[in-house]
Amino acid sequence: MAGRFFPAALMARRNLTRTKMRSLLASLGIVIGVVAIASLGMFGVALQYSFTQNLGNVGNQLTVYPNSGENVTELTERDIRTIRREASPTATVSPVKTRAEPVSYNREDAVRKTIYGIENPGELYEAKEGRVSPFRSGALVGSSVAEAHDLHPGSQITINGTSVRIRAVLEEGDAFSSTNPDNRVIVPATSFSQSGYSEAYVIESTGTQANETAMGIRDSLNDREQRVFVRELGSLVDTIEEQFQIINTVLAGIASISLLVAGISILNVMLMSTVERREEIGVLRAVGYQKRDVLKVMLMEATLLGFLGGIAGVILSLGAGLAINHYAVGDAMAVFRLPNAWYVGAAFAFGVLTSIVSGLYPAWKAASEEPVDALRG
Amino acid sequence: MTVIDAQGLVKRYRTGGQTLYALAGIDFALEAGEFVSIMGPSGSGKTTLLNILGLLDTPTEGTVLLEGQDVTGLGDSKRTALRKRTIGFVFQHFYLLPTLTAVENVEVPLLLDSDPQVKKRARTLLERLGLGERLDHKPDELSGGQKQRVAIARSLINSPKVVLADEPTGNLDSETGRQILDEFRRIADEDDVAIVAVTHDDLVNEYVDRTVHLVDGTIGRERKNGG
Ligand SMILES: Nc1ncnc2c1ncn2[C@@H]1O[C@H](COP(=O)(O)OP(=O)(O)OP(=O)(O)O)[C@@H](O)[C@H]1O
Ligand SMILES: [Mg+2]
Repeated sequence: MAGRFFPAALMARRNLTRTKMRSLLASLGIVIGVVAIASLGMFGVALQYSFTQNLGNVGNQLTVYPNSGENVTELTERDIRTIRREASPTATVSPVKTRAEPVSYNREDAVRKTIYGIENPGELYEAKEGRVSPFRSGALVGSSVAEAHDLHPGSQITINGTSVRIRAVLEEGDAFSSTNPDNRVIVPATSFSQSGYSEAYVIESTGTQANETAMGIRDSLNDREQRVFVRELGSLVDTIEEQFQIINTVLAGIASISLLVAGISILNVMLMSTVERREEIGVLRAVGYQKRDVLKVMLMEATLLGFLGGIAGVILSLGAGLAINHYAVGDAMAVFRLPNAWYVGAAFAFGVLTSIVSGLYPAWKAASEEPVDALRG
Repeated sequence: MTVIDAQGLVKRYRTGGQTLYALAGIDFALEAGEFVSIMGPSGSGKTTLLNILGLLDTPTEGTVLLEGQDVTGLGDSKRTALRKRTIGFVFQHFYLLPTLTAVENVEVPLLLDSDPQVKKRARTLLERLGLGERLDHKPDELSGGQKQRVAIARSLINSPKVVLADEPTGNLDSETGRQILDEFRRIADEDDVAIVAVTHDDLVNEYVDRTVHLVDGTIGRERKNGG
């Protein structure tokens, strides 16, 4: 049937079945190349995805902290007022005091630990157990601390010799956020005798807004000397995503080496085939096939090899993608996300393209042979 | 009607400082429906002449007229198109495509045209040549004589004016050879196709209208068959 509509395909297909094993091996190269490109690409995507999952929504957070290099050891009340003025009206600004204290849980030996003093932790955190606000006394602990020492609301810990009651265990925070409370012990800021703050968190509604606020804070506080640093997690995330992009490109590049090898093997197979079929091609030319007709038949063979290998490669890649996503993201169905489709599609296209490009030289060689020479044997 | 008229054909090859005359001045004309054999010792230039008449090769000197049109200086693509339209080839080694069936092999010259009539015509030709039972057989399932008949059918698929055959009976026993020559005779008489057969086989001369003898690239004595 196909032969009726596409006669060159009929001849090409029959020619490939003539040397089945050889054709299979040649397209196996394409299969491997396509699988390599597609699955390395999908691996990169899965890595990036699981990273952003862990990262959470941190692009809109800023952390302001003093520049100890300029002998600024703390943020003053005035600094905090400036920060509040620079931040947008809807932003949350949370100044934080810290000091290191010996802490002991459940009558174990005391260890030194940084204690955080936050005035209004309800703006930043939610409780997993117990209640965060009102917060006048007692302490809040992060989930990791609570888990390690089996703490619950009502448990007692000792900070610097004073017994303190746990009010709440906090919800887990985003892994890369500087407000992440998981390993922290938080007490009311009023229990600190020092007046300065060691850092301040600003949470804006969007990443762009956060960026503007960061610039405003730098302008106001750093006009004579570099008094504070403003860390923007958003730009950090951008940098990391760029790194992932580079990793992905390098991985795909490495994978395309396997396609190069596949291309060479197709070139080899097609060259052998043109040598073996020299007389046949001579006959085709004698009975009225133009050079471009011979070119068409030969290129059709290369294209078919590429398609065969490409399709098998895509099927195998989907299998590999399911496995990769199952282990890296924990959701096999995540393979059906758009960037993956892009990698699989690109791998397929590269596979077919490699095949056609590798077929060009043998096809040209076959087409440009003089029929008189070919037929003389 | 004169189908091919070749005048003063010379084919020179230069190999390693030596000049070799494969053809050294040949005049050759062919009428429609004529069956002509070319004989001569090995190396006398028979294949060279046939290739030039069939527009596969070009002469170093001389002119070739095909149906009155000068085709001597034509480029590869034009010569190929003319071959497709007016010339059929039959080779000593049949040169069928081993992956295609008998019918498909007969279709090959016109296969890329995607003309639905071609398949029907291929069947008819094969049936006429007595291969109605073997239409869908691959070449390796056919005997030598059957293969040569498929090749003849292939040479006729484009309704050529001229069929050129290089040693068409060279690989066949004499009985099969006679059958093939009968076919050629019939095609020349019934279809008015001009046939040129290069041969070493004296059997051929019983069937042809005339025989051209080549010696060292020149035409020797010519013998006309009675009638
Ligand atoms: N491409 C070529 N280069 C050099 N010499 C050639 C070439 N083609 C043919 N010849 C020479 O031309 C001469 C005629 O060759 P041709 O093939 O026409 O002979 P022939 O009569 O068909 O012989 P045979 O009966 O053996 O087939 C030979 O001497 C051959 O070596
Ligand atoms: Mg010869």
